Amino acid sequence: MATQALGVSLQYSHSIGRGEFSGPGFRNPVALARGADDIMYVVNRSYEYRPDGKRVTICTVDEDYIGEFARGVSTAGVTDIVTEDGSLIWPTSVALDQDGNVYVADEWLNRISIFTSDGEWIGKFGTEGSGDGEFNRPSGMVFDADDNLLLVDSQNNRIQKLTKEGKFISAFGSKGSGDGEFNLPWGIDVDVDGNIYVADWRNDRIQKFSKDGEFLMKLGTPGEGEGELNRPTGVAVDRTGMIYVADWGNERMQMFDPAGKFVYLTTGNGDISKWGKDKLDANAEMWKEREIAQGIERERDFWGPVAVTVDDQDRVFVVESCRNRIQVFRRQEPMFFGGRL
Amino acid sequence: MASPDIELMAHLMRRAGFGATYEELERHAAKGYDATVDELLSPKDQPDLEMDLLERYFVDWKEMNALEVNQAYLTYRMINTERPLQEKMTLFWHGIFCVGNSKCEHGGQIQTQLNMFRELGMGSFPKLLLALSVDPAMVFYLDNCMSHKDAINENFGRELLELFAMGVGMDGHANYTEEDVKECARAFTGWTIANAIPRYPYGRHPSQFAFNAADHDYGEKTFQGETGNFNGDDIIEIIVKQPSAARFIARHLYNFFVADEPQVPAWQGTPPRDIDAIKELEDAYFESNYDITAMLRVLFKSQWFKDARFEKVKSPAETVAGTMRLVQDFTSPKPGLHPIAMEIRYMGQDLMNPPTVEGWHTGQEWIDSGTLVERINFTADQIGNVALPGVKAIIDRLSSEGVNQPDALIARCLDMLGAYSLPEETRNYLVEHIGRSGELKPGTEAYGAQVAQTLQLIVATQEYQFA
Repeated sequence: MATQALGVSLQYSHSIGRGEFSGPGFRNPVALARGADDIMYVVNRSYEYRPDGKRVTICTVDEDYIGEFARGVSTAGVTDIVTEDGSLIWPTSVALDQDGNVYVADEWLNRISIFTSDGEWIGKFGTEGSGDGEFNRPSGMVFDADDNLLLVDSQNNRIQKLTKEGKFISAFGSKGSGDGEFNLPWGIDVDVDGNIYVADWRNDRIQKFSKDGEFLMKLGTPGEGEGELNRPTGVAVDRTGMIYVADWGNERMQMFDPAGKFVYLTTGNGDISKWGKDKLDANAEMWKEREIAQGIERERDFWGPVAVTVDDQDRVFVVESCRNRIQVFRRQEPMFFGGRL
Repeated sequence: MASPDIELMAHLMRRAGFGATYEELERHAAKGYDATVDELLSPKDQPDLEMDLLERYFVDWKEMNALEVNQAYLTYRMINTERPLQEKMTLFWHGIFCVGNSKCEHGGQIQTQLNMFRELGMGSFPKLLLALSVDPAMVFYLDNCMSHKDAINENFGRELLELFAMGVGMDGHANYTEEDVKECARAFTGWTIANAIPRYPYGRHPSQFAFNAADHDYGEKTFQGETGNFNGDDIIEIIVKQPSAARFIARHLYNFFVADEPQVPAWQGTPPRDIDAIKELEDAYFESNYDITAMLRVLFKSQWFKDARFEKVKSPAETVAGTMRLVQDFTSPKPGLHPIAMEIRYMGQDLMNPPTVEGWHTGQEWIDSGTLVERINFTADQIGNVALPGVKAIIDRLSSEGVNQPDALIARCLDMLGAYSLPEETRNYLVEHIGRSGELKPGTEAYGAQVAQTLQLIVATQEYQFA
């Protein structure tokens, strides 16, 4: 289902994924970063009791599987957890620096792990706390044009700017519901001018800041109507300043114009992915079950749209934590041909 | 020593909830017994868990796909709910209206059913039975989706009478006939579920109840002496007005909340342990037009409930949730919950996966040599961990009270665990043992270890296995 208010809209392209604890597929994916050559990195949170499904999957937009890295560790006996370098417990987000290195945040370990673009572990940083450069449950991350890391320090209700080595540069934000204040913020993105957009999760809004952290704008109020938000988890901004919001609690994705005005929303259009088709071909009875299934149109709908990313080709990726799937959309604008009217 | 008010409150909170810390008992006792019962009976006056926060950190709880995911969630609820009686009643109905993951389209479907118990389990019994009859997990588990007008499957119809609402018999006579079973099953033909979306590639979707009119037997039926073109909801209306339904629910409530009874199959020939108590509950059932809360109010305010101290063996769920509430661990989301939830399974109660539709046998049947060791080891490990907030609070309290004699230490530790008492011989043994551990110097690290060891010794006694 889709509602359109202006001439700009999104057209569904395709779906990527299927439910797997390893190999081609995802398990409770929560974040995505787009790399060079159509590569994408997808963070899988997995079930609590299945650490084997926690990993970062490398694949392409066309659903070619490349590999995976950063395995989860067992949390049986939480005081004795072995947290070797590169392991994951509660991974939340992924960001790529200008060299293509992959940064993965873990909100339980309060640790950022750094990998090469091929998934080889090369470093880490992070100390639990509320001082400069310390953090408490990191969630969203993005690199700015200067290749510094903007990190959502969720339980400290602030955004920190760090060097790519984790050295503190600056911070803004505090707990509250006023302008420039946060309540457990989650996702983050920057636009082409360096402005910062934060999904202010428990305040049911998106806030926009200058690159120096000065409050500029907010959009969204609590609710389920057009332009209203229910626990937004992710935000992304395209080259033209259009804003995409993962409206997690409302199971939909919304699009706003650069001024924060509602433009469009979708509740999903998912269909069978390439990996999904392979799985069904290997379990042919399920093709037959699908033929007689009732209410199969539910499969199109988002379930747990937790993250949104837009690439420089105006492709919008919505990560669904409960469907092990990424739905890809393309931004559409009216194009008129012919003579002057 | 704990006051009589605290002792009574500890009893109430063990039965109507999952136990409480000593500080909580003091707060409730200050409020008064009747006021606390009224509060327990109005769960919606208390806040529910903040699901948005829980689903943020336990990402898999938004979909609730697998059995173990659901078990962790249920365990967390039992540990943290501020509506303990609502959760206890959910467990109560789960033990009667059994469905199991071993025959279920996906784990989340049972969670949907438990949510229904949370919503309706303290209200009208016929409404609850009706919701159960259209619950997709139940329709699938007891094959009602396989019951057709020209070929009935008696499974659901039979269990509705035998295990869900009436029982085989009472006072030495049968409550229904084989003909009643068939007629009941006929009335529920066409009560089915929609064809499911297969689990590949993206995972299951919630099942949906469907009434297939073309497959419903609209013919005349005679059930419990009444004749008509009954549908399933007519059957439920007839069931709930039978004395057997009142007896059945009364006896289950008594067994679950008051004192261990023989197992259900024995109820036809074995009279209730306390027939007067059962009759009071039956009266409340009819006088309130089949309202479960009305029965619970009579139960918790009765003298026979107040007197029934330590007459029940704790279930595994009560053991684990009660221990965690006491030690105050997992009060907010953190990794490591799964092994805690699994303890309930290891102690013999695989929640959402009962051994049969008859559910779990309760009382002393919870205990065998394996499960006893499991529960003592688990409880002692937790209560002996001085890093846990609840244990630390006990140590700090006894320290500040200046408890420095072994007999006083035993007495106060028994209080802290919920106003327990021990036979003299056991108690003397513990006093002697603590006496040998060296001088008790409140405030020292050694003192903390001595308190923890005392708590461990107590939870390993036979008496502590009772609620």
